[in-house]
Amino acid sequence: MDPFLTSRIVTDVLGGLTNGVTYGLVALSLVLIWRSTGILNFAQGAMPMFATYVGFALLSYHFGYWPCVVACVIAAVLIGGLTERLLVRRLYGKPEINPIVVMVGFLIVLEAVAAAIWSSTPRSLPSPFSLIHWQLAGRPFALSPFTVYEIATALVVMLAVAMLFRFTNLGLQLRASALAPEVSRLLGVRVGRLLTLGWMLSTAVGVITTILVSANFFSGLTPTVMDGIFAYGFIAAAIGGLESPVGAVVAGVLLGVVNQFVTDFVNQNAVIIIALAILVVSLMVRPSGVFTKSTQRRV
Amino acid sequence: MKLGTVRPIPIAVGLAFVATVIALVSTSTSREGVALCVALDVAIACGAVLSLPRFKSSHPVVFRAALTLLGLDVALFVTYYFPSSTNFNLSTGAAMSIVLLGLSFLTGASGQISLGNGAFMGVGAFVMAIWANHHTTTPIVITLLIAVACGALVGLLLGLPATRLRGPYLAGMTLAFAVAFTFILATFSSWTGGDSGLQLPTAVTAPRWLDGFFAAGTPPLKTTTLYLTDFTILVAGVAFFFMANLFASRTGRSMRLIRDNDVAAELVGVSLPRTRVVAFIVSSAYAALGGALLTLIDNSVSPPTYSFALSVTILSLIVIGGIGTISGALIGGVIYAFSTNVISWITTQTGLNPQGNLASQLNGIIFGGLLIVTMIFAPFGISGAVRHLWHRLRARSPG
Repeated sequence: MDPFLTSRIVTDVLGGLTNGVTYGLVALSLVLIWRSTGILNFAQGAMPMFATYVGFALLSYHFGYWPCVVACVIAAVLIGGLTERLLVRRLYGKPEINPIVVMVGFLIVLEAVAAAIWSSTPRSLPSPFSLIHWQLAGRPFALSPFTVYEIATALVVMLAVAMLFRFTNLGLQLRASALAPEVSRLLGVRVGRLLTLGWMLSTAVGVITTILVSANFFSGLTPTVMDGIFAYGFIAAAIGGLESPVGAVVAGVLLGVVNQFVTDFVNQNAVIIIALAILVVSLMVRPSGVFTKSTQRRV
Repeated sequence: MKLGTVRPIPIAVGLAFVATVIALVSTSTSREGVALCVALDVAIACGAVLSLPRFKSSHPVVFRAALTLLGLDVALFVTYYFPSSTNFNLSTGAAMSIVLLGLSFLTGASGQISLGNGAFMGVGAFVMAIWANHHTTTPIVITLLIAVACGALVGLLLGLPATRLRGPYLAGMTLAFAVAFTFILATFSSWTGGDSGLQLPTAVTAPRWLDGFFAAGTPPLKTTTLYLTDFTILVAGVAFFFMANLFASRTGRSMRLIRDNDVAAELVGVSLPRTRVVAFIVSSAYAALGGALLTLIDNSVSPPTYSFALSVTILSLIVIGGIGTISGALIGGVIYAFSTNVISWITTQTGLNPQGNLASQLNGIIFGGLLIVTMIFAPFGISGAVRHLWHRLRARSPG
């Protein structure tokens, strides 16, 4: 009989949580953009990936982990802001496939340019905490100092975003300009500036996800590191409802746990297939997402 | 009869007679002569039909048939003189243009977009290979139809939720399918041959009654390529003809109405869910057909071909060609046929190290960049830009 804490179930749940929070973060950053601009940002994985490469370029100048992280966030904010100003701004009010196509194009360009500059061989990032799992009574436990750091950071980011939206004046303005841009503009909210800010914020959330993901042993930083995670993040956001930040995060975490169970009890290849099946079924049952309140929108 | 009216039929008959005589006199072997004069006569007949006044509006189906026949006639004729490598490129381009046509229809007719057409191609390609390996006696055409049917079935499965979805959900869902597809292949590796993929049991060769054209005196490699190229172009022609009619049909019109205004479409009695599913099924069936043809051309199929990157390539090609148009699919197919050559030409011209990072990523940078630029500055691609220029010229010139 296994001790409870190192049993298969607990191991899977905790391992799933570790992956799930990253899906939740990606889903959250997708929802932030979707709610404010009505664009599903297919480059939501690639923009932070690029910022991470830029930020961790400081490693070769003998900077430590934390200065690099700060540099990553600055790079992400710049990339997010510039993208909104130069690219996305031309797409507001266009048919809905235009932004999809442009963002897919941006995704390809970013991945290709990153691979051209930094090559596509994985680059290992330093991690501030040990990646070695703890042992409990001679058995491996599901968590390591790094995964605790990963989960904690993700929770802090999610809380910070929630607090920003709920308790600050800026958050109120962001929500207002997303919900009723015309009215907000009349009331003196600078909607254009806030949209830029929304993209900056979303890319910053994304870059933290990318840093956490690519400090892992297995993946390392590659130009395509976020592809799979973006797919799961989108699935989570679609299940939870693109309108609902809380729903997206919850769905992301649950999806991570489900995936871990599928990996453990079925096999690695079945994970994305099961996730796709869950997506199809949930979209058929609740097209606007499990966690959104139904709004009247015929057709 | 008024003076100056063109009388196409008598002129055509005269031209055809002259062409036949020239062909028979100038060519060395009788077989080549027959081929040449058939090609010329068909071209002249089609040209005559196409130039009949007001024919396009009075007999639209015959008009499209004549246009298709003319295109096929010219294409099949020129492939006879092309080197094998060009023909190989042309055949992949023709197969790809079928896929592009499906996506163009989906977007142009219903306003939806799919990022998973590469995976639907893969469905067709693998069904083709699996069936050909298990039932070696089935004629190719039947196997192709089976592959198309399987593509349509998977399209139905994924399309059902799409009936209730708006906007980017379908794009995201098809993206998830495209990402999942290689894993699906790996899961059923006993059928799909795992990492190495599948080989067709026998290469496709020309049927006996066509031996005269495809086997006479030419080396076998060339004849196989030529036959496959002509076969693919023929299938593509049929696919284009069907699609042109579908675009103009009642179904096509209701789809365009949905794209432009879905509320109005519902009010006039168009069933949204059914029309959307039909559009999605047609697009996945076309993708499967293209994939199956690609398996025939390559004589094998391997999983890495059908990764997410292929879906992105498909999207780029149709956007650059002109999304929502039929000619856009043709342009995209031609671009696909020669893109590898053009990119390697750029690499040699700019003196890049062909094994370097930049050279290996040139494809992505160019296609991704073109995708953005096209969508922002010319949303209907080359086809739309040409049409725009044409209208401006017509408006400027008197008459």
